[in-house]
Amino acid sequence: MSNLTNLTEVTDLLTAGEPETPQRPKRRSRMVLPKNFGRCALILVPYVWLLVLFLIPFIIVVKISLSDTAIAMPPYTPTFDWAGGWASFKEMVGGWDFENFTWLMEDDLYWKSYLSSLEIAFVSSLLALLIGYPIAYSMARAPAEWRPTLLMLIILPFWTSFLIRVYAWIGILKKEGLLNMLLMHLGIIDDPLTILNTDLAVYIGIVYSYLPFMVLPLYSSLEKMDDSLLEAATDLGCSPFKAFWLITVPLSLPGVIAGCFLVFIPAVGEFVIPDLLGGSNTLMIGKTLWVEFFANRDWPVASAVAVILLILLVVPIVLFQRQQEKQQEKGA
Amino acid sequence: MKRFSFFNASALTLGFAFLYLPIVLLIIFSFNESRLVTVWGGFSTKWYSAVFANKGFMDAAWVTVRVGVVSATLATILGTMAALVLVRAGRFPGKTLFSGMVYAPLVMPEVITGLSLLLLFVSLDFDRGFWTIILAHVTFSMCYSAVVVSSRLVTFDMSLEEAAMDLGASRMATFFQVTVPIILPAIVSAWLLSFTLSLDDLVIASFTSGPGATTLPMKIYSQVRLGVTPEINALSTILVVLVSTGVIAASLLTKRREVQRRREERAAFAES
Amino acid sequence: MNGSPNFGSGCSFAPWADPHEKPLIRFDAVTKKFDDFVAIDNLNLKIYEREFFALLGPSGCGKTTLMRMLAGFEQPTTGSIMMNQEHLTDIPPHRRPVNMMFQSYALFPHMTVEQNIAFGLKQERRPKAEIKERVEEMIALVQLQPFAKRKPHQLSGGQRQRVALARSLAKKPRLLLLDEPLGALDRKLREQTQFELMTIQEKLGLTFVIVTHDQEEAMTVASRIALMEQGKVVQVATPREIYETPNCRYVADFLGDVNIVGGHILGPDDKEEDIVQLAWHEDYAPLRVRLPQPVTFPAKGKEMWIAVRPEKVRITKDYPTDTHNILKGKVLDIAYTGNISTYHVRTEDGQIIKSQEANLEHLHRRAITWDDEVYVHWRAGGCVLLER
Repeated sequence: MSNLTNLTEVTDLLTAGEPETPQRPKRRSRMVLPKNFGRCALILVPYVWLLVLFLIPFIIVVKISLSDTAIAMPPYTPTFDWAGGWASFKEMVGGWDFENFTWLMEDDLYWKSYLSSLEIAFVSSLLALLIGYPIAYSMARAPAEWRPTLLMLIILPFWTSFLIRVYAWIGILKKEGLLNMLLMHLGIIDDPLTILNTDLAVYIGIVYSYLPFMVLPLYSSLEKMDDSLLEAATDLGCSPFKAFWLITVPLSLPGVIAGCFLVFIPAVGEFVIPDLLGGSNTLMIGKTLWVEFFANRDWPVASAVAVILLILLVVPIVLFQRQQEKQQEKGA
Repeated sequence: MKRFSFFNASALTLGFAFLYLPIVLLIIFSFNESRLVTVWGGFSTKWYSAVFANKGFMDAAWVTVRVGVVSATLATILGTMAALVLVRAGRFPGKTLFSGMVYAPLVMPEVITGLSLLLLFVSLDFDRGFWTIILAHVTFSMCYSAVVVSSRLVTFDMSLEEAAMDLGASRMATFFQVTVPIILPAIVSAWLLSFTLSLDDLVIASFTSGPGATTLPMKIYSQVRLGVTPEINALSTILVVLVSTGVIAASLLTKRREVQRRREERAAFAES
Repeated sequence: MNGSPNFGSGCSFAPWADPHEKPLIRFDAVTKKFDDFVAIDNLNLKIYEREFFALLGPSGCGKTTLMRMLAGFEQPTTGSIMMNQEHLTDIPPHRRPVNMMFQSYALFPHMTVEQNIAFGLKQERRPKAEIKERVEEMIALVQLQPFAKRKPHQLSGGQRQRVALARSLAKKPRLLLLDEPLGALDRKLREQTQFELMTIQEKLGLTFVIVTHDQEEAMTVASRIALMEQGKVVQVATPREIYETPNCRYVADFLGDVNIVGGHILGPDDKEEDIVQLAWHEDYAPLRVRLPQPVTFPAKGKEMWIAVRPEKVRITKDYPTDTHNILKGKVLDIAYTGNISTYHVRTEDGQIIKSQEANLEHLHRRAITWDDEVYVHWRAGGCVLLER
């Protein structure tokens, strides 16, 4: 998820639910598509591609998560004997067990990294909301001719490399880095602070990287708001602050929810940020998976970690989808 | 005329400072004479020469560009097909699964996508390298392309296609003479998006590449793990400036054309 | 074809009245369903060569579906559509000698005016010189010579409409379909364009089918109007017939303003034998309607309605003479719309009758005003008797 780059389309998609065929009369569909052979080919090519390169790999992950570790290359058994047919399939299924999962349950390293992933993602979403709301609000209230430029400035970082933007923080946060130098120069602190390789650095990294995800849905819900609502509220005796609290905040709630999910979901599985900015005791599940795979070469356990991560993410994704659908119905 | 209030101006200033300061500092220190990245030792462009002299970087860059161009092109074609299937194909068995497979990669953690593709390549006994990275990049980029193109197709005025057929164009002729030219901007941005996604990707490429195929992000990552170096700053600056210039130029161009178009529209109505 | 059609007089062109005339288009028992929704319900219709045929009706009545079936964008669920004794049903849209002018104009935004007009000709791979000549001819026809190189967004609404017309005419279609062609234009331009359409149709001698929900437009341009309701054609007739002698209350009400009074057939009038009497209220004299020739009397006691247009209802303060139907009432409302005033008169039993008077002189002071006791009256020949 670290490189969700083109935000406008993606947030459009995520905040509007699936772009289904619009509710035009049925008669309009299927006009330009070649009827038989062409239509089949058109459907089959991307379909087969996604089946082979997206769905089947998943099934393999699930399968391997149920296998045993082996030293050989690839480091897991049993590999499916394609020639053996049904018998070897049965044998393979017979060899499956939940050993890896039991192990994950027993070793509290995994528990802790799941929980801490959720915690870090949750806290980062709140921080991003606190920082993103004033930005989005100010963008929505900016003079109309400025708004496209401001929007561009929010989206621009997404086209530039994620890795580089995370890397830029290392030089700022490290012990002899720019932030410490500045603070010491100003006489605020005497000894350099340790920020890099702590959870704090991970928070900063996630908020920094995913801030546009928060700002864009907030901005779109705030920008849609009719100014006359606030005028009506003040006309009816609200103070500007109360009007903000009673009118603006509730009306921007869909944007708040969408933004939080858009930060939370990718943050849970994040790898680059905890790896580069976090410390050795920063536990995040994406990093655990990477280490399990590349360092420990335990493919079955890495697969089991992936399966659980996915299960973990299904809940927020489904909740998010529901919320978006509800929003759409309300809009319709 | 509406103006910025004090609160709005300061919120925006602080917000954009937060977003841009790290990049700006990175750019500044790429011109630092000193090898110590945080101590200013005078202006110098020697790290840029070092980048261009570094064969490892250049090779990785070349691999990355090749992977990017091939995978973006394939992803745009497949993504456009997928978008047509989603928006135009009507109902067919397995459509729900299909749209699920198009949207799932957008929210899938990269570590999972990378891991699952690697396991596929291993069980098929593929030699991992240049082409496996491309297969992986096409798979997730095509979903982004599909989203971009389908959001354009949804608002496409069907009467344009009907008009073409009414005037004697076959379905194929209609598609290539009317539909494609009109949705071309969306197809172009799908390609650019796919290209940048491929250019940026570290995690999936790390899983799916093999010996001999190192992309630039993989190269940068292995260097960055060892700490901040001025060469990486210089390389990052080059990448950031290239991409930003492209994005800003493209958006200015679009904006100018839009303004021009609006002016012409107004003129046409004033004329009559 | 019997002689040359002549629109000027409007009466000598009437192929539908000639039983030997072959129709250009024939709908035979056509039904079109979208899932459970019946858009077209067992419809029969004949359209003749060189007609300017209007499909009129409220939105959702099926007129657009009917047109899209002619263009080939829809297939009838059952029934057949013939063009010159040839089945049209199986021919795909791009092979039909039918062209359509779209409501949205559907001009290709990436092509110039010329390229738009040439599009259809290029599909037929005609020689370049021929295409060029034809495009120039079309551009001249719609008077867009200075705009040939422009793209659609550089044109005004009226100019776009002309390009769309020229494009759909370029291939000399046997049948031109116009889907609400003037809907996007403002009123003045629309009226002017209606006459231009008629002139072009006459000049090129083509058959036009226009879909519209604007009854005035249909009345102005059409040789015949088919009024539709819920997938059925309710009446097909010339504008004059459909206005003056509607065949049911729906038609009478859809076209223009009308007063409708229901009652039971009493019998023939004692003085004039082609007049029938309708009892509508026990306290009042029956209403009298002159029946069309040849006179056939409806059964006594049958429930029927009379329809009378407000402009045929006179309003006076004094008791009128030399008229057939007289009702006494009080002026409830007066709607002044500049050229005419419409009086809403409530009769003693509560029936509202509308009467229109042309404002022949400056209105300083009305002869008749609110709450005045008045008589509304009309002649037996000014109203029609309706069965349903």
